[in-house]
Amino acid sequence: MENTIKNITYDALVIGGGIAGGEAALNLAVTGFKVLLVEKDLSVGGKMIMLSKVFPTLDCSACITTPKISEISRHPNITIFTGTEVGNIRKVSDTEFVAKVTKKPRYVHVADCTSCQLCEQACPVSVSDEYQYGLVGRKAAFIPFSIASPKAAAIDIDNCTLCGACEKVCPTNCIDFTMVPETMNLHVRTVILATGFDLIDPKKMPRYGYGTFKNVLTAMQMERQLAPTRPFNTILRPGDGKMPDKLAYVLCAGSRDATVGNPICSQICCMYSIKQAQLLMGALPMADVTIYYINIRSFGKGFEEFYQQAKGMGVNFVKGKIGRITEKENGNLTLRYEDINTGKLMEADHDMVVLSTGVVPPKGIDGLFEGETLYMDQFNFVKQSDPLANPSKTSIDGVFVAGTATGPMDIPDSILSAGSASSEAISYLIQHV
Amino acid sequence: MGEFNKKSAKILVFSTEKISDPAIDMAGLLKLHYPPTVYTISVPCSSAIKPSWILYAYEKGFDGVFIAADGSDCVYGESCTEKTGNLVSKTHNLMKEKELDPARLRMAAICSVCSASFVKQVKSFNEYLLKTLHN
Amino acid sequence: MKDKKKIGVYICHCGGNISDYVDVEKVREAVSGDEIVFLSKTTMFACSDSNQRDMVEDIKEHNLDGVVVASCSPKLHLTTFRNVSERADLNKYTYVHANIREQASWAHSDNKMGATEKAIHLVKAAIAKAHYAEAQVAPKIKAEKRVAVVGAGVAGMKAALSLADKDCEVLLIEREPFVGGRVAQWDTLSTTTETGKEMTTRLYNELLKRDNITILTNSELIGNKGSVGNIELTVRKSPRYIKGNCHPEDLKRAIEVCPVEVPDEFNFRLSNRKAIYKNYPSEYPQTPVIDMKSCTRCGECEKVCSSIDLSEQAEELTFNVGSVLMATGFDSYTPAYGEFGYATSDNVITLPQFKRMIDTQEGKLIHKGKEVHNIAYIYCVGSRQEEGGNTYCSRNCCTSTIHAAVTAKEKFGKINNFHFNRGLRTYGKQELLYADSLRNGDIYLQSYEDGPPTVTPKGDKTIVKINDILTAGEELEVAADLVVLVTGMVPRADNKVGSLFKLPKGRDQFFNEVHMKLRPVETVIDGVTIAGACQGPKNIAESVNSALSASTKSFSIVSKGELETEPLIAVINDDKCTWCGACEEACPFDAILKTEKDGRTIAQINNSVCKGCGMCTPVCEPDAIDLIACSSAEIMSMIDALA
Repeated sequence: MENTIKNITYDALVIGGGIAGGEAALNLAVTGFKVLLVEKDLSVGGKMIMLSKVFPTLDCSACITTPKISEISRHPNITIFTGTEVGNIRKVSDTEFVAKVTKKPRYVHVADCTSCQLCEQACPVSVSDEYQYGLVGRKAAFIPFSIASPKAAAIDIDNCTLCGACEKVCPTNCIDFTMVPETMNLHVRTVILATGFDLIDPKKMPRYGYGTFKNVLTAMQMERQLAPTRPFNTILRPGDGKMPDKLAYVLCAGSRDATVGNPICSQICCMYSIKQAQLLMGALPMADVTIYYINIRSFGKGFEEFYQQAKGMGVNFVKGKIGRITEKENGNLTLRYEDINTGKLMEADHDMVVLSTGVVPPKGIDGLFEGETLYMDQFNFVKQSDPLANPSKTSIDGVFVAGTATGPMDIPDSILSAGSASSEAISYLIQHV
Repeated sequence: MGEFNKKSAKILVFSTEKISDPAIDMAGLLKLHYPPTVYTISVPCSSAIKPSWILYAYEKGFDGVFIAADGSDCVYGESCTEKTGNLVSKTHNLMKEKELDPARLRMAAICSVCSASFVKQVKSFNEYLLKTLHN
Repeated sequence: MKDKKKIGVYICHCGGNISDYVDVEKVREAVSGDEIVFLSKTTMFACSDSNQRDMVEDIKEHNLDGVVVASCSPKLHLTTFRNVSERADLNKYTYVHANIREQASWAHSDNKMGATEKAIHLVKAAIAKAHYAEAQVAPKIKAEKRVAVVGAGVAGMKAALSLADKDCEVLLIEREPFVGGRVAQWDTLSTTTETGKEMTTRLYNELLKRDNITILTNSELIGNKGSVGNIELTVRKSPRYIKGNCHPEDLKRAIEVCPVEVPDEFNFRLSNRKAIYKNYPSEYPQTPVIDMKSCTRCGECEKVCSSIDLSEQAEELTFNVGSVLMATGFDSYTPAYGEFGYATSDNVITLPQFKRMIDTQEGKLIHKGKEVHNIAYIYCVGSRQEEGGNTYCSRNCCTSTIHAAVTAKEKFGKINNFHFNRGLRTYGKQELLYADSLRNGDIYLQSYEDGPPTVTPKGDKTIVKINDILTAGEELEVAADLVVLVTGMVPRADNKVGSLFKLPKGRDQFFNEVHMKLRPVETVIDGVTIAGACQGPKNIAESVNSALSASTKSFSIVSKGELETEPLIAVINDDKCTWCGACEEACPFDAILKTEKDGRTIAQINNSVCKGCGMCTPVCEPDAIDLIACSSAEIMSMIDALA
């Protein structure tokens, strides 16, 4: 295989095709630099493209993400590799990095796919849909989601039975089971890490019953239920498909909690929960929504006003941390909490509980570099070498960091951080000719 | 529900691209409701509105015309307020000649975040027009 | 007007934002009958990549002459769809936009029938406009490859460095005699071992290394002419009244002999300074300054120091730049008289004053002659106000206060910190600092939203009382030696620079960006970007991120050396014009000239100077002037469509 490895040259490698990576890539491209944007997933757009609306303006998230994604996909200076993993990166000189990347086979030729969905209909395999956070199923031959970019089918080879049904119906013959992983050596002059974040696995907190109690969901699942491209077109309890009318939000689920190893504040959960509560008041006008919180952290531009607006709309805010959740026979849930305003231990029944799960770093970032050490902070986010004066600099000269790779951040801050990282990268490229 | 069935006056708003139109957009964003028979045409600057357009609107059946003026925020210069004022008084005179109630033309400065003020203005204008024209 | 035009109309669902209130299919049907509408479609997301591709295909396949999209505000996606047209080889000015979200579905979400009816009219008006929308060629103008950065605080200095490193010339203009802004006033900073002064010094030294940065201190922007690409700035540079290279001993003596004492703003009026001064020894530029507003011109200093020259005069300098980056910072909120005992009680000071006290004192913490042990911090003073204008959270004060409290305890010992807060907002990793302070024994008391603490003097102490939520509403009180009002960030009281550029402000009165997520550092004034806390409360890292983002944006405006300008300018109908001069008088840009054509005297537009404001159009008696894309014929046909 080694001798078939392609060598490709770009000015900048951006790792991560979420909003931060996309913004950084676009800034570099507009300034005239050639960028390779690498995304491990099948679509660019990151977490943001999956959201319903964004706080505090309630702009629909897709309305902001998709045109940006469209601009990135179309820019002549940007090449995008989706479904691609970065193996390792070596710094070979002051002005050159070599990154080994592997493009996983999609088993579909993207350029030929018309996203007609015939393969989806033909595929006999049904599995849980990770893009809808497990709320519904999908096929093994599938288009990731309706506003995915590239909008093309992919074959989930792990679940595929190789029955060939998709190949038979495909009108453009774009399905190709002979595809193999393709490894390339990329020669780049600078690297931007925009590797984003993960959400903490709520099963780490068994007291909330996630995974056991059907009507306990994560905020990301609720986000999908509220999104314009929502699977059910309304809000449903996963347990029995009923519309909920007494919902609870559990804030700091896996944040500010040393017992799960995450003592820091996730910075976004208060606001996204308040946003969802406002959207729920619109979607289910008769429903009660209660937010259980420790402190409401509405600190950004327009955030405090947004919080006050939610109160005005009738969202119920209870200062109290949830100790335990138990399930009743009818699928309703009992929340036990200390009401801080009265000092008493209280119980409350809800028919649906949303866990506002916190932000944790993705795995594997610290091992990206060979020969150089990328310093990480105590939580395993990328460490900023000069956090106040040069927030996007890392321990490696020529490697910059954007967005939530350094820690929790909301979308406006991620975009500014991406602006900052790309600005440093542009200066670096101009100064290191 | 009263609001739903109530007849509302037909109002043409001249907004400005950089100042008052963003405020009208924000009124929508904040769901500050106002009568749906309020229509907006956006121009670069409120001192670019020709009196003939305003008269034409009445001719075509608009009950009122509202100029959401740049005021002192105009990006094209200080003289905007005075010039907008001039064209309004010129139009008022023309309206009198045609025996149109000059109060059917209103003007107020609407800054780029004056959403609430815009809504208040058009609502009160609507009420005035309903009272005087649709009794 | 060209007839037999063929256009495509696309009506966006906006994933429900529009279609939940507006019957988009009904809109499509209602407008599809217009003679120029060749095809009409509804789409889930008009802005999505797949729809954009469909539009390009439609235009090419059917040879369309133009397109109308009815979706959200043109401020969001006018450019998106103009670009779609261009990709399909149409001139982008053939594109017309209809706003049926902000001005229909959202504004009338209470009235679906009304919203649908209005959307139909708005789309019809856009189609009426499309009848007239012709190809235009955007003129290119030269862009000065030089950016002015206004304000030399951390944000401004970082922006200047970033631009200089992109090989762009920078003019860094600071109103104060010294650089560094707010950060120079701080000693220790959270999350780093560097002090604010050290950081300022580091950045200043970096500035000096770049030969493409011109630093102007003691300089105020007083004039602004021209527009993006070529902005002519007038700067008034006040003299320092001290020539460089003066002997430090002489200067020291000059400061000693100066008889004038005024409150020292650098120390937030905690102390006084002389009329000739420097805020701290390592301050930059190194030369001190004479504050002419308070100087009595007694001449004492001149006698002891030969470098002093009270006859120096202010200069007015002009510069041409392509873009202006605003980094003018913030003011600290000044509490009202009597607000939590401010100005009425000796023991009450503000957070910035407290930070200066920590910086300037050693050994014991002394206030008004007495040693301080018990400190009460009252949070959210001037922020999150229910009454009064500042409804916003100032974002940085919680962390800043805890950092100051921890520092005071470490530096002076024997300090008890009592935090009267409204819910701590140590977001992200700042949470660790909060946890540290709890471990160090700081006490946090939290009030109800509607029950702020009360402050009452008692002897030489001040009693701060609260109904504490955390102990179930129990009334708790602290006898404090010092009460620190945690004052938030407010916009600069002196907004001369903002007014000069007509920068719009947000609801919080800070400068406003075009869109928080799509265009976060741009303003509606072409060529003017904003960075740092002049846009809203930010900490240092957040200010720097926004400064670097803004520098890239300003750079992208000037980097190519030329810019496209709007072709939508005024045109004269030569036959109608009788040259009365009214238009020339009305034009704020001197873009109208008198000219002779075919033996007649008529007006002529200087296309490169005209900005398309249209002020000349209503004053023309023979109605001989129209704006391109805003002509009488177009507006009247739109009125027909709306009526």
